[in-house]
Amino acid sequence: MCRFLDSVAVKCVAGAMTLVAVMALAGCSEITTNGDTAQPAKSSANNVKHALFGLGETATPAQIAGWDIDVRPDGLGLPEGEGSVEDGEMLYEDKCASCHGTFGEGEGRWPKLAGGLGTLSQERPDKTVGSYWPYASTLWDYIRRAMPFPAPQSLSVDEVYAITAYALNLNDLVDDDFVLSRDNFSTIEMPNKDGFFVDDRPDVKNPRCLSDCLDPTTIKFVETIAGITPAAHIKEGGTDARAYSEGETEGEHAVTDSAGKALHDSACKICHGSGVAGAPVTGNSDDWRERIKQGKALIYQHALEGFQGDSGVMPAKGGQTHLDDAAVKAAVDYMLEKSR
Amino acid sequence: MSDADNKNMSHGSAGRARSKAMPALKTLAAEAGLLKGGDRRGFLKGLLAMTGAAATGQVGAAASQANLPPQVPSWTKSLGRGVVSKPYGMPSVYEKDVIRRTVPWLTAESISSISMSPLHELKGLITPNGLVFERYHAGVAEIDPEQHRLIIHGLVERPLIFTMAELQRFPSVSEIKFIECPANGGMEWKGPQMEGLQFTHGMLSCCEWTGVRLSTLLAEVGVKPEGKWLLAEGADGAAMARSIPMEKALDDTLVVYAQNGEALRPEQGYPVRLLNPGWEGNTSVKWLRRLEIGDQPWHMREETSKYTDLMADGRARKFTFVQECNSVITSPCPEKPWQNAGWYEIEGLAWSGRGTIKAVDISFDGGVNWVNAPLKGMVTSKSLTRFGYRFKWQGGALLLQSRSVDETGYVQPTLRQLREQRGVNSIYHKNAIHTWRVDADGSVRNVQIP
Repeated sequence: MCRFLDSVAVKCVAGAMTLVAVMALAGCSEITTNGDTAQPAKSSANNVKHALFGLGETATPAQIAGWDIDVRPDGLGLPEGEGSVEDGEMLYEDKCASCHGTFGEGEGRWPKLAGGLGTLSQERPDKTVGSYWPYASTLWDYIRRAMPFPAPQSLSVDEVYAITAYALNLNDLVDDDFVLSRDNFSTIEMPNKDGFFVDDRPDVKNPRCLSDCLDPTTIKFVETIAGITPAAHIKEGGTDARAYSEGETEGEHAVTDSAGKALHDSACKICHGSGVAGAPVTGNSDDWRERIKQGKALIYQHALEGFQGDSGVMPAKGGQTHLDDAAVKAAVDYMLEKSR
Repeated sequence: MSDADNKNMSHGSAGRARSKAMPALKTLAAEAGLLKGGDRRGFLKGLLAMTGAAATGQVGAAASQANLPPQVPSWTKSLGRGVVSKPYGMPSVYEKDVIRRTVPWLTAESISSISMSPLHELKGLITPNGLVFERYHAGVAEIDPEQHRLIIHGLVERPLIFTMAELQRFPSVSEIKFIECPANGGMEWKGPQMEGLQFTHGMLSCCEWTGVRLSTLLAEVGVKPEGKWLLAEGADGAAMARSIPMEKALDDTLVVYAQNGEALRPEQGYPVRLLNPGWEGNTSVKWLRRLEIGDQPWHMREETSKYTDLMADGRARKFTFVQECNSVITSPCPEKPWQNAGWYEIEGLAWSGRGTIKAVDISFDGGVNWVNAPLKGMVTSKSLTRFGYRFKWQGGALLLQSRSVDETGYVQPTLRQLREQRGVNSIYHKNAIHTWRVDADGSVRNVQIP
C-alpha cells in the first residue's frame, strides 16, 4: 500500500517518466497511474457492512417513495386508500372498456379480464383475472404501474382501488356494494391461487440415440398452415422492406399514405380506434365533421401540440413526442381521409 | 472437420434445379449465371432497386451485362462518396430485406408486441444492434441518460441512487450472451404455422454486452441476510418488473449499458438494462430504473398472468427462468432454399441457458439416424454456438433436423416428448427439435413430426 504517496501520486498521471521517478524515490513497487492501488475490500455481497467503491449517493426516503410502487401478495406496498365497485364501474367504462370490453370480455386481441373459470385444462383455456391470476395484488399493482395503456401511472390511488374492485366484481369475486381498501385487501382470495408450482424442469429426458432411433415407415409429418405468415419477402420478387429504405433517406422523410396508416395503426388507433378519452373515431364522419370545418391547420396543431377539449384530451403527438412532425401529419391526413 | 464427418450422403433420386427468378427476369437469371441461388436472387432484386425498374418489372438485358466482365463496372469508372457523408454507417442498399419482422396478428397493436431477427441472413454469432429482436410492453422509452437514475433499495444496509456516469465508473465486464424470448417458437405448440425461420426462431439474438456485475452493485449497497429476492423494474410506460432470485443476481447477472461496442440501442433498454444470461429475455429488464431487495418474490403481472407455463392438467409452472438447450438449422431454411444438387454447408445455431453447447447432431431422415455436426468458431457459455456440416446433396427430399446437447448432458427433446409432458397450451419454452422438409427442387418447408 502506498497511501502515504497520495499527494505525489497525482503527478503520476501526468506522465510515465514522472511516475518512474516517484517510484524510485519512494521505493514503492505497488503504485500505478490508476491512483490508489488499494483494491476494494473482498466481502460476500450478502453480508457487507461497508461501501466498497463509494460510488452513488444515498437514496433518500422521498426519492424511493416516488418510484417504489410495487405491491406484493401479502399486501406489502399497498398505500392507504379505498375505492368502490360503483366508482370503479364508471372509471372502467371511461378508461378501460374500449380495449377490455364492457364486461371484461376483451375487444379484438386486447386482454380479456373476466370469465374462463374452469377452462384451464380444456383445449382452449381462457386465462383471465378470475380464472388464472393467483393474487389480487398483481391486479392492483399492474393497474397502477401500467394502466390505462395510453396513459400509464395517471390514476390516483383511490381510482386504482376502485378499478381493481370493479375488475374483481366482473369476476363475481366481490359484491356490487363492495368497497376495496388496504384494510380488507387480504380478504380477497383468487380462485386459482393454488394453480401454480415452481419450475421443475428439466422435465423430459431425450436419450441421445444415434441410429435406427425410429421406424422410418411410421414417420409422418404435418405441413405448415399456408398463408398466415407475413412472408412477402420470401415470395418471388416480393419485399416488405419499406421501413429500411426510409431509414436510408436523409433529410426530409418522404411520408406516404401507407406510412400515415402505419403510424395510425401503431400509435393513434389505441384511442382513435375506439373513442377512448373522447377521441374522434377514425372512419366516423359524425365525429369529425365539425373538426374538419375548422380547417386542417388547426387539426395539425392540436395533433402536434396537444389539445384539451370538452370531451377529452389529445396529448401532443399522442404522447409520443419523438415522432416526426411530418409523420404525425401523415397520420392525421390518413384519419381525415378515412373520416370524410 | 474429419472426412468421416463430411461423408457424401445420398438421399433419393436426383431432383431438377429450379429457377427462382420471376418470369420477366428469366433471361437475366440465365445471364447472371455466375451468381448461384440466393445470391442470384439478391443480385436481381438489387438490380431492380438500383435501376428503379421495380415499378415496371422491366429490365433491359443490356443493363445486366453493363457491369460484368469483360465490361468495366460503372463503380470502377467513377468516384464514390467521401468520409462522413454518412457519419453513422448503414448497410448496403442491397441488404434492405435484412430487417426485423413481426407477425401482426400476434398482438393487438405494435406498442406491446414483438419482432424477430432475420436469423437466415446472420453470420457468425453476433447479432448486429439494428437487428436484435424487439419486445416492448409499452413501446420504446426514449430516455435522456442525464436524467436517468438507478435506485437500489429495500433490504440493504445503504440504499443508493446512481447516475449513468457513476455506474460506468465501476469495473466493467464484456460477455457474449444470447437473449431469447421464452415465447420463441410458441406459435407452433399445436402445429406448424410459420413459413420461415425468422418467424419460427427469430425471437433470439446474441450480443457482446458490457456493464457491471450486479454482484458488484449489491456489495456496494450491502444486502441484508434476509434479502433473498430482487425486483428489477424498468422506466418504460409499462414499468416492466420481474422478481429475480438472489442466487442468480450474485452469480452472473449483469447491469449493462453497451452492446456490441456501442451504447445500448433504445430498443434494448438505453441507457441501462439488466442482463440475466441464459434466462428468458423478459427477466433482462430494459430501461432499468430500480432494484429492490426483498425476502420473497413479488408475483408481478409478467410472472403470473404472463410468462407462466400452463400444463395440460390446468396447473401452471411459475418462475420458469432458464432457456433450455435448443438448436435450429439456419441454412437451408425456407428463406434460404437450395438450388442445384452439389456441395453445401448445412449451418445452424445451438444455445443453452444452462451453459456451454457440447455437441450437435444432424438427421437427414426425420430422426431415424443422426451424425455429429462439428461446432464452429467460438464455443462459450450461454452464447449462440454455430455448427456446420459439409454435405453433397444429391437432389432428393430430406427431413432435416438438428439436436443439441449442453454441458449438463441435457439433450434437446423431440416435440412429442414435450407435448406428452406439457400439453400444447404452455406457450413458452418450446425448445423441441425442429424439422425442415427439403424437397427435390431444393425448396424448404417448415413441417412437424408429431
